[in-house]
Amino acid sequence: MTNSEKWALWTLGVIVLTMVAYFTFVALLGSGPASQSVFALLALTSVPATSRRHLKGIGFDEREREISGKALLAGLRACWVVFIGLVMATGWVKGWDATLAIPVWMLCATIWWAAMLVLAVESVTTLVLYRKGSNA
Amino acid sequence: MPDDKSAIRNHIRRLRFEHGEMTQDELGKRVGATRHTIMALEAGKYFPSLLLAFRIARAFGAGVEQVFEFAEASGPGLSAS
Repeated sequence: MTNSEKWALWTLGVIVLTMVAYFTFVALLGSGPASQSVFALLALTSVPATSRRHLKGIGFDEREREISGKALLAGLRACWVVFIGLVMATGWVKGWDATLAIPVWMLCATIWWAAMLVLAVESVTTLVLYRKGSNA
Repeated sequence: MPDDKSAIRNHIRRLRFEHGEMTQDELGKRVGATRHTIMALEAGKYFPSLLLAFRIARAFGAGVEQVFEFAEASGPGLSAS
């Protein structure tokens, strides 16, 4: 298993852990600013970057870079599609002339969820491309 | 539309064994790639850049066309516009 695949699995694990913790907090504390603290768990996604390989300064070869680029692009595309969907849905449901007022914590939570979506799609795409080949 | 890349084959595995049973790891270190990338190349799951193709050929002391082969089955893929 390559380091990129290990990173992808680790990241998926962190995302699952964060989601479980989030919904647990929401169940116990209710939906609000306090529940947002669990998003700090996402910092764990940076742990593999300080792995032994990284400290040794071993770089990625062209295939790894290609897969990494494709995976990141897939993640950003997924985020873009969801963003467009949310904008359209909000417009249709609330009406295009409606005014929305949301608390800051909700805006922050939206950004955290978007980051999780990008990371999740990036991780899954990384795993798929390593299995099927980056030319798939 | 047929995928032209599927028609690219390589002889890396054979050349490795002809060069003192060179391991994938050893070849990877010589050409600046990981063992996993060499495995993917041999399995036809990845097609290298021109730079890596030249490096691999150089590692075997051969030309690129001795390592990589393009089996043109259905004529050229590009047509005049």
